Amino acid sequence: MRKKWLVIGLSLLMALLVTGITFAAGKQEAAKAGHSAIKLVWWSMWNETEPQAKVYKEAVNDYMSQHPKVQVSIQWNGREIRKTLPPALDANTQIDIWEQADEYATKTWKDYALKLNSYYEKTYPTTNSRTYRESIIPALYELHKSFTEDGSLYIAPEQPFIVSSMYNKDLLKKVGVSIKTVGATWEEFLAVLEKLKSGGITPMTFDDAYSDLPLAIHLDRLYGGYEPVEKLAKDKTGKLWDDPRVMQTAKDYEYLASEGYFSKQVATNKWPAGQQEVATNQVAIYPQNGSWLPNELKSTAGLDFPWGQFAYPIPKNGKDGGTGGTFGSQAFMINKKCKNPDTAFDLIVFLTIGKWGKKFSNDTLSIPMDLSQEWPKQLADDKEIFKSLTNNYPWSGGLGASSESFPIVKKAFIELASGKINAEKFVAEIKAGVTK
Amino acid sequence: MKLKNSVIVVFLGPAVVFYLLIFLYPSIRTLIMSFFYVKTVTASMARWSFVGLKNYRIIFQSKMFIHSLSNIFYIWFYGGLGVFFAALLYAVILTSGVKGKSFFRDILYLPNVITAVALATMWIHFAFNNQYGLFKIIFQTLGLKQLAEFQWTAPEHELFSMTVAYSFGCVGYYVLIFMAGIEKIPTDFYEAATIEGAGIFKKFTSITLPLLIGVMKTAVVLWSIAAVTFFLWSMMFSPYDPEMGTITPMVYMYNTTFGRNVIVTNPELVNAGLGAAVGVVMTSIIVIVFLAVDRLLPDQEEIKY
Repeated sequence: MRKKWLVIGLSLLMALLVTGITFAAGKQEAAKAGHSAIKLVWWSMWNETEPQAKVYKEAVNDYMSQHPKVQVSIQWNGREIRKTLPPALDANTQIDIWEQADEYATKTWKDYALKLNSYYEKTYPTTNSRTYRESIIPALYELHKSFTEDGSLYIAPEQPFIVSSMYNKDLLKKVGVSIKTVGATWEEFLAVLEKLKSGGITPMTFDDAYSDLPLAIHLDRLYGGYEPVEKLAKDKTGKLWDDPRVMQTAKDYEYLASEGYFSKQVATNKWPAGQQEVATNQVAIYPQNGSWLPNELKSTAGLDFPWGQFAYPIPKNGKDGGTGGTFGSQAFMINKKCKNPDTAFDLIVFLTIGKWGKKFSNDTLSIPMDLSQEWPKQLADDKEIFKSLTNNYPWSGGLGASSESFPIVKKAFIELASGKINAEKFVAEIKAGVTK
Repeated sequence: MKLKNSVIVVFLGPAVVFYLLIFLYPSIRTLIMSFFYVKTVTASMARWSFVGLKNYRIIFQSKMFIHSLSNIFYIWFYGGLGVFFAALLYAVILTSGVKGKSFFRDILYLPNVITAVALATMWIHFAFNNQYGLFKIIFQTLGLKQLAEFQWTAPEHELFSMTVAYSFGCVGYYVLIFMAGIEKIPTDFYEAATIEGAGIFKKFTSITLPLLIGVMKTAVVLWSIAAVTFFLWSMMFSPYDPEMGTITPMVYMYNTTFGRNVIVTNPELVNAGLGAAVGVVMTSIIVIVFLAVDRLLPDQEEIKY
């Protein structure tokens, strides 16, 4: 009997202790929260170890020291945020700010987000009396408006990017050749490849992850836009693949493969093996990659790597004049349930425009958001290409419109570029894949 | 001693409640979800739109889904043959009184304690690499030029290479299972067979294999579940977009539920309801495999020591 009371007594004591500790901790937390009148929670798409996160951490500390009443807590989700964010928002977790690629964010998550148009028309401490809209790259502003039918903006951009042909300037110099940054024709491009090859340099390579991009831009150029390529991707009859422009694309790549212009590793390159071929001076050109490439390769290639970029060449009978290309940005969103949206937007502007925007661009070798800032020297050519673009092609240039045909097309293209199949077989393989 | 009903309730209650909450509720929710268009996996039911059997029609008309099924069949069949053959061989050798049994067993099991992410990275970038990979060096050293030039990660060989890499890591796990089964077989059987003049092969086919049927059944079910839920290795081989050689039903489900690079321009392609339908189909496949294995392989209970 005694024992029983002892057990009950001890249990009660434990329960009291646990309750007491929880209560005290809760009080402490409440006291902290009381000190900071505004608490913002930010779920980031960066991993804590990435250079982007390092800059943002410093910037947020700076913001909090300038605004003692604001407390910002960051959760570094990495790219898995695509998976983790919606459940958390559905469960009403406090998340005031989050990030994602611009188009994906607008088209899939806008129901959770605050409309930001009015914020674009205001000035902020770091915008030097300009409105936010006047401070950022106009092309991005227009692009982001185009993602919604009524021009509503649900995102604020960060880390803009452009897709272009990336190359090693020194290797081209070595064989005494150069290429126009904008407007190179297919013949001029072939002449560069030939010079490189005869100089003993492997002209081009790519990885599986980016293998769709050269094919897509080639088709986009020939069709004069990405919409017909989307139709091509969605075609289940196979008839659209009989278009002569498809055959011309296939023939152009068949020629590149037959002339030995691609690295021998091109069929087997698992990302980032192909990128490393460029970083280690084994190959001169990566036909299509994002402007993040110099940052991704800086630990191998170094900061002084002679990066150059050119707009993808215009194939014979190309219709877009080389003025179409893929560009975009990563982006911030603000929760429509956010209790302090003004502070949240103010923080976003603080991070992207002004000294922290500059540091972000410098440390991550990325295109600056702020119009008044210099582009990193590694992306100097990309600036010229960016200026020349009048049409935006989505990522994968329309080929990504169907998740059914996409893997079939990618596989056939890798086989074509590595010389395993010819142009006719390329078309036949895709037709068989999409219709069977 | 007869337990009071209240004691049974107290002890079983929490387990039952947790089972219902953690397993049964999501299963039923997934089943219902598979008949709806659902934008995000956790969207409240008020935001679901009923589509009837449309999600099922989509997946059975999807060439990519059917292709993903053929991929896991390949992994299940060829990977299974390789793993079971190697595991049985090692299990028999290690239970035959060989020296250093624990050491070899641990070595074989080692890949199971290393995360699959690290293993896959090692295979892709250090074993299969065509410039400096392990196989390239080994075959080159042996003067086997054609094998040295084999393109392990080329699109047409990707499925084979992924199956090899995955199966390699699985062998140790099944060795342990088979060893446990073999060690349960009374040694008298082998002694009697030896006296009767049976050789190693005869003893294996007439004693070991028949008496391992029960263990084999469990192993086949485990292997089948692993094949049906094959995901991580595929994601490691194709981290950005699905590829013909690496797409599996779970990857297809992941893409439709959460979206990947390819699903950007058309947000309608992200449909958690479609993902749920894939989940239901795959669960049904596992149940069918389980029943088939149960029917096709004889019952262990018929064999008495």
